[in-house]
Amino acid sequence: MAFDFVPAIVLLPFVSFLVALFFGKKMPKRGAYGGIVATAGALAVSIWVLLSVRGGNVHEVTYYTWATGVGDQPWELTFGALIDPLSSLMLVIVTLIALLVHVFSLGYMNDEGETDLPRYYAGLGLFTASMLGFVIADNLLMAFMFFELVGLCSFLLIGFWYRRDAPPSAAKKAFLVTRFGDYFFLIGVVAVFTTFGTAAFAGPESFPALAEQALNGNFDVWTPGDLGVETWFTIIGLLILGGVIGKSAQFPLHTWLPDAMQGPTPVSALIHAATMVAAGVYLVARMYGFYVLTPTTMAIIALVGGFTALFAATMGVVKKEIKQVLAYSTISQYGYMMLALGAGSYVAATFHLMTHAFFKALLFLGAGAVIIAMHHNENMWDMGGLKDKMPVTYLTFLAGSLALAGIAPFSGFWSKDEILYEAFIHGLNDPILLAGWVMGLLAVPVTAFYTFRMVFLTFHGNPRTETARNPEPLGWNVKGPLSVLGVLAVVAGFVNMVPVQKLTGIELDYLTQWLDSGAEGLTYSGYNALLAEYAGYEAGVVAGSETTTLLIAAGLGLGLAVVGVLVALALYNVDEPVEHTDKLGDAKTVLYNNYYQDEFQVWLSARTQDVAGGADTFDQGVVDGVVNGVSSVSLVSGDRIRRIQTGIVGNYALLLTLGLTALLVVFGLLGGWFV
Amino acid sequence: MVPLEYYLLLSSAIFCIGLFGILTRRNALYFLMSVELMMNAAILNLVAFSFHWGNLTGQTFALFAIALAAAEVAVGIGIILALYRNFGDIDVMEAATMRW
Repeated sequence: MAFDFVPAIVLLPFVSFLVALFFGKKMPKRGAYGGIVATAGALAVSIWVLLSVRGGNVHEVTYYTWATGVGDQPWELTFGALIDPLSSLMLVIVTLIALLVHVFSLGYMNDEGETDLPRYYAGLGLFTASMLGFVIADNLLMAFMFFELVGLCSFLLIGFWYRRDAPPSAAKKAFLVTRFGDYFFLIGVVAVFTTFGTAAFAGPESFPALAEQALNGNFDVWTPGDLGVETWFTIIGLLILGGVIGKSAQFPLHTWLPDAMQGPTPVSALIHAATMVAAGVYLVARMYGFYVLTPTTMAIIALVGGFTALFAATMGVVKKEIKQVLAYSTISQYGYMMLALGAGSYVAATFHLMTHAFFKALLFLGAGAVIIAMHHNENMWDMGGLKDKMPVTYLTFLAGSLALAGIAPFSGFWSKDEILYEAFIHGLNDPILLAGWVMGLLAVPVTAFYTFRMVFLTFHGNPRTETARNPEPLGWNVKGPLSVLGVLAVVAGFVNMVPVQKLTGIELDYLTQWLDSGAEGLTYSGYNALLAEYAGYEAGVVAGSETTTLLIAAGLGLGLAVVGVLVALALYNVDEPVEHTDKLGDAKTVLYNNYYQDEFQVWLSARTQDVAGGADTFDQGVVDGVVNGVSSVSLVSGDRIRRIQTGIVGNYALLLTLGLTALLVVFGLLGGWFV
Repeated sequence: MVPLEYYLLLSSAIFCIGLFGILTRRNALYFLMSVELMMNAAILNLVAFSFHWGNLTGQTFALFAIALAAAEVAVGIGIILALYRNFGDIDVMEAATMRW
């Protein structure tokens, strides 16, 4: 019953996009109410769907077949929906965050007197709709199409203030960098179709299921040349991973994300918490059944994730702007999710995706509130002492920060702890995973440190500027979303307290059970079986028992987080903080310039200019040359041959006669009249 | 009885005279007359074959073709008049403006 309304989840925000686009100027609040109503409706339907999915009630349907192949390639290209525990959970997260962002935008955009708001709300509506379409997608091609739409919308929204210098260029960068990754994704989609003839995610005829049969030798697949099946699957997995790395801002394609801070802050919240960046990780989780078959891909995912988590966290330490710190924390946290996926813990990744969505949306909206109060000054060194002036923002922001830093019992602790625990136990038998775990663990104190450096600089100490002494008051539309998310950032972790369950025996792993209840082949235990069989993942223990292992892992994680917080407390929780980062010397410059990654990419593109130039020459010379050559042959010959049209009737008569004679001679010779 | 070949020889002779006229003359009136000759050569063929096979269809067709030739002359004279009005001459080599 609820499943009949699944298209409405996508269509409602889409309608709000159309309404805001065409009638936004005439609407009260320039289309904001339309967006709020639409996302609230989508949220209501999503919750209904979530409740209906309970107990393994999976819904898969094809809405529209837009192309059918013929002959050897009877492929069907379709739009459909796959509603299982994973996608229904994601639907609720996305619609909830989108709703809160719409409400917050009333305070951040309308009340601040921004102009051109119909375009803004239209962008938000389309962004939400594309992400929801991506979430319900039941095949890889449909997912790819919505993936691209998400990228387009991020381009439109990051460049919302297109009259300034920085936003359009940041928007272009985001578009180009993610498009670079998507290029590989597209090839991956084509490869999946060529290999399996289908791109469906679920069912016995889906490509993960067929891939498993192919590895067992029960199913013949196409491979290029005499490439081994597993090598080929690894290549396909890596190609699709290209899109994931671009969208989820993993090293080395993370450079677009900090620049994307040029967009309006509510958009940043949406991008970082629920759409765009989440899309990459969600895609890996969605087709996890395929990735678990190839251990090499899993190892690469874990390494990239672990490295990104640490790498991005170190850059967050020296930033001056509040949104920049949050941007690097996002990259770092998505690194954790990738680490979890690579380490074989699908549940931990989904869990962190959920808790991160709540606390990161909270932190961004909190930062937005601070930015409103500070009259759009984002420099933390101009803030200070805001906690007494804006208690709601302070308390919710603190809750979000504790979650981000991974302090128990806030939500981030439970999910991050589960990720590190899973990486640890599997890493005991696999050095690559262990390397991922070490990097993830090292990132914990760094994360805690930069998070609390941000909190102390912004809210504690003495106000350092006149604006910080008299911040602008905030309305309900700012405080409301903050309070909702603040509560969620505290309690969201309680849905999956695995460590507590293991210690006390009380059943507390609701999320694990939830993700284990889906369709056959898409469940947590199904993936675990595949992991053990194909990737050879095996849980290890230290000091002889699981409990000790658990305590060691959790203790290390929590202890390091507390160390990070204490260091920040000692250095920055003073009345007049100073820039301790100067003590880092040259390292500070390197960190402040993001390890010269941008410069490196520019350098690389300058070096590869010749390749691009060569490709351009080939395109202009050979591809276009053939086309132009054909047309110029027609042009020149036409120019010559038209000279026979002299306008003199006698010439035509002569040509006719000669032509007739020639025909008679030819027919005569061929017909043998003269023999 | 005159054999068929004689008619055909006569017909082709008339046709060639007409063709020669078209290829050599510049006066539009000569043109028209030459066309008439060629047309009549064709009609002669129709009648000759009709006579040879003892079938009247060819002769009926010849009558229609003669009527058609009359109409053609009317149109042809009209064209020649228009030619004279536009170019002040009925030399077909002068009217060479309709080209590339």
